[in-house]
Formats: sequence, structure tokens, C-alpha cells
Amino acid sequence: MAPFDLAAGWLQQHAVLPLLYALGMMQWEDISFGWVLFSLYGAAQVAVSYAVCLPLEHWRPVERWPDTRAVGVDVLYTLIARIGLLPLVTFVLFYQAQVTLDGWLADQGWVPPMLERLVPFLLGRPVLTFCIYVVILDFSEYWRHRLSHIFGWWYSLHALHHAQRQMTFWSDDRNHVLDEVLSFLWFMAVALLIGIPPMQFPLLVLLVRLLESMSHANARINFGWLGERLLISPRFHRAHHATTAAGRRSVNYGSVLPWWDMLFGTADFSPEYAATGDPGAEEALATGSYGAQQWAGLRRLLRGLRPAPTKGQRPLEPSG
Amino acid sequence: MRPWLILPVLAALLAEPSLPAHAAGAVLVMNSRDASLSVIDLASSHEVRRIPVLREPHHWALTPDGRDLLVGDSAGNEMFVLDPATFEVRRTIPVSDPYQFGFSPDGKFLVVNALHRAQVDVYEPGTYRLLKRFPLSYMPSHFAFAPDGATVYVSLQGSGRLAAIDLRAMDVLWTTEVGLTPAGVLWLNGRVLVANMGSADVAVVNPADGRVERLVHAGKGAHQLFLSPDRKRVYVNIRLEVDSVIALDATTLAVVRRYKVPGGVDDTAFAPDGKLWLTLRITNKVAVLDPDSGQSEFIDVGRSPHGIFINPRAVLPVSVAAR
Repeated sequence: MAPFDLAAGWLQQHAVLPLLYALGMMQWEDISFGWVLFSLYGAAQVAVSYAVCLPLEHWRPVERWPDTRAVGVDVLYTLIARIGLLPLVTFVLFYQAQVTLDGWLADQGWVPPMLERLVPFLLGRPVLTFCIYVVILDFSEYWRHRLSHIFGWWYSLHALHHAQRQMTFWSDDRNHVLDEVLSFLWFMAVALLIGIPPMQFPLLVLLVRLLESMSHANARINFGWLGERLLISPRFHRAHHATTAAGRRSVNYGSVLPWWDMLFGTADFSPEYAATGDPGAEEALATGSYGAQQWAGLRRLLRGLRPAPTKGQRPLEPSG
Repeated sequence: MRPWLILPVLAALLAEPSLPAHAAGAVLVMNSRDASLSVIDLASSHEVRRIPVLREPHHWALTPDGRDLLVGDSAGNEMFVLDPATFEVRRTIPVSDPYQFGFSPDGKFLVVNALHRAQVDVYEPGTYRLLKRFPLSYMPSHFAFAPDGATVYVSLQGSGRLAAIDLRAMDVLWTTEVGLTPAGVLWLNGRVLVANMGSADVAVVNPADGRVERLVHAGKGAHQLFLSPDRKRVYVNIRLEVDSVIALDATTLAVVRRYKVPGGVDDTAFAPDGKLWLTLRITNKVAVLDPDSGQSEFIDVGRSPHGIFINPRAVLPVSVAAR
């Protein structure tokens, strides 16, 4: 962490503090350091994804496309989410939410929830505690993701993610902004319940997203019989994005660990590398610009929220 | 050896040995982004131990009887009660967002600034029962007591104001605009000094009515104020200048010396040898500044060190101090 701290410190001292001072916003000088730090983590995470996944995609691609313009939008999604928005939202909002909730609980004479209080052995063992947080949050992510396929209105937003027919490691962040908000609120609620430290929360988000990037890679890679059951591979997650699995009856909902799919009967370990996309999604969701995709997702949501169709009308529901 | 003797012998071998003590003093540093406290041996200037806390330790206060050292874990909503001589954690007390806090000079009140909850809480020392909550918008950060302990002056970092709270009547006397992002507060010679982090000034405030009588130019991002033990100098810690520590004459408030201490100076503690121990939030170090020579030496600690406490009579086990 030291190089990131030093780099963030340098940026803080030479760029952020003078800017805050000029804008009359010095009250944010302490908290802004966290944002700078996590933006750097985000940039590093994008660089790591790029360095690891790009060679894999060139080495053993599942598909080759003559025109990859649709992937360009996914790059934009990734940069916005990981370097700018995600660190800002996860750190600043989560910090304030935790302070408010825990302070209120303390006022009521309750002890705010915290894993280290439940298991005092974990106090002073941040790496072990971090790993336990990853497992708990991954479990909650499985159910969040599964519910986003079960509820039609939620899937009308999530379809944007599934519409991509040129799935690459950039595709993880191609989400409707409302879907991102719901995901963040879900993630944050669980994180608050188990008392994740504010400084660890963005790291957890970034770690999970890094592994998710790799699982979206356009690479013919599986981890072998045992490995497939320990960590989600590109093959495992590709089955989730298959054209035949879009919508309510999908498989492989897990983010990092396949255990929850195995436990709840949704795991598909078949060796195929299927074509990806959602045949029921309109074209703008697949190949439109950033704005067109967001607008199409919103329209789809509004249509989905309308009363049930009368006889003769085609119902809008997730395909697959 | 008889089998039943094995257990007591094993227990004796595994038990914590009673180590001889080393009474050269120690320093406790609150690492706000590491959820830990660094213990530094004052004699060797080496970190000898890390004490884990829950989330985010910032500041400390010694109880009026000197028996307990309180360290506030603001994001953990807990006060850690330590033995000030050995830094052993004795117990914890649930407290809402204990960011910056202190006991009134008469020992009757514990005032806690909850920075992120926009409130100032007054507790009864000993029982730590909440006596009164003052919602004050927003970001109450630093404070100073009047010498008689009747009034506490709190800087409201987010709204550019200073609030005066009458602790006997439990009422807000006044709030007044003092400048951009007021941070450190110090009572000096019948006046309240406020370091304005959003400007380059230290405001001199009349404690009776909150009127700003004078602005003293210090440097961009004036953050904290400390009175030297001999009461001759006021040290101003500055965020945005290369000369990050400014010494003012405590009587005239004229600048008498400037020091270059890079790394984001924040809090200061004075050692018995006259040196200043400064926490450096950005470079994760403590600087030991000799105010005569202007030279500093640096000690690595945890991330974002904030509060710092020196006990020249602290007793560390010899094995720990020698590490």
C-alpha cells in the first residue's frame, strides 16, 4: 500500500489541497485523501485487468470480431465507474452512512455491528477479516444478482449488461446507472450490517470488480475440475451470459466464488463456450452509444412498470 | 517427573514472563487510517509496538485524575481506555463518533466533538453518561476551554463559525463567523485564537461576544495551534505552505520563526527535552523537530497519524523497549 499512499499524498498535497483551498472547500481535505487514494487503486485495477486479460483474450479468444466498436462503450463504462465515480461514491457515501448508522445505534445504547466485536480474535488481523468480508459480500452479491434476474422490472435494467454480444473484460461495468445504484445500495447495506471499515469497503469493491472483469474476458479459459469449483472462471461466467441463459432462468449468478451456485442448484459446469447476448434486448442496448443505452434501459424499465398487458398484447418480460 | 507436575510446569514456561521495566518514557500515536496505535520508545525514537483498535483513532484525553488515557475511535464509536503508563487497553466505552474531546479544566465535563454527526456532546466524567447534546452545524472539529471551565469554544469547520457553549447553563452562548474552515482553537491571554484552514489567518476572537478583533497572517491552510510549555510561543501548523510550522510570539502574535517540515503536519506534542513531536498525515511519519536548530528527524508509524501523546514516565517492558 505504501506506493499508493505516497502517490496519493503527493497528489493531495500538490493538486487536491490547492484546488480545495481555491474553491473554499478545505473542510473536505481529510476525506478527499480517501477519494484520491481509491481513484489510484481504481486506475491500478484497470491497468491490472488490462495487463492480465488482454493477453489472455489474444492468446485464446472465444470469438473474433471484425468490428469492435461496441467494446469501446464498455471501456468508457469502466473508466467512469472505477476511476471516478466508484471511489467517490463508495468512500464518501459509505463513510457518511456508516457514521450516521453506527452513531445512531451507539446513541440508543446498542453496540454497532462489527465482525471483530463478534469474533474478538479478528481484532488486529485485518487480512483475515478482509477475506471473511469478501466471502460474506460475495454471498450477498449472489442473491442480489439472482433477484435482478427474477424481478422483471429489475431485469429490464440489468438487460443492458446482458445485451453485449461482444463480451470482453471491459464488459463488467456496462450497467444501467439505476442498476448500479441498486447494486451499490444492496452492497452498502450488507457492508453496514457486518461493519466493514470505511477504508476497506472501496478495496473490497475493487477486488470483487477486478475478479469480475477477468470472469468476463473473451478467453477460452477454465480452471480445471477443482479450480472451477473454487473460483469463477471466464468459462463459468460465460454460461451466465449465454443467449440461452438471459432472463429469469439463468445460471451461474456468482461473482467471485462458485459455491453459492453449487449450494442453491444454479451451477452449470458444462464445458461449452456459448455465444453471449440477450436476444430479447433491443439493438440500442447492445450497440448504442452510452447515452442511447441508458435511455433504452430507462424506456424498458418504464414499459416494464406499466400495468399487465391486455389480451393480444405481447408482454414485456425477460427473455430466455 | 510425575505426570501431574507437567501441566503447572508447562503453564509456567508458557506464561508471560515478568519483565523488568524500562522507564525512559514513550509516545503514543493514533494512526487514523490503520486502526492502530503506534508506541514509540522516547529514548530510542523507534516504534516498538502496534496496538489494534477498531476503526479510526484520532485524538486522546487524560482523565482529570490522570489514571486513564482515553483514545477516541470515531468510526468505531468507541472510546478506548488505556493505562497512560503502559498503554495497556483496560476497557472500552461506547460513545457516538468521539472525534476530538477533552475534559474541562475543573474536571466536571467531558466535551466530545462528533465531527461527522454535527453534534457536540457533553458527558459526565467517570460515568460517561450523556448530559446534553448540542446539534451544531456542521463539522465541529477543535475546541478550547476557558480557564475556569465554564465555557467551551468549538470550531465548526463546515460552516465557518465558532460556537461558545456555557457548560454550567448547558446553553449555546453565541456562534459567530470567524473565517473559512476554522480548525484549531486555543485560549490565550483572555482571547480565543482560531486557525482558519480555508484562509491564511489566525482569528483573534473576543470570548465575551465572539467578535473577531484581529486577523494574524500565518500561512495558507492554518490548521492547528499549540502553546509551548513555557507559554512563550504559539506554534501554528500549516497545511499548504512549505514553511509548515510557524512560531508566533505568544504576547504579540508576531511571527518569530518558520520551520520546514514536509508531510502534512497535524498535531503536536512537546517532549521534556523541548523538542516538538509532530504527526505527518500524508507521509505516515512522526517528525521530531528541534525548535532551536530547526532540524527534524523522522520516524515511520502507521497510516495517517493524527493525535500524539507523550508520557515521559511511561514504563515499557525492557524487551519491548529494546526492539
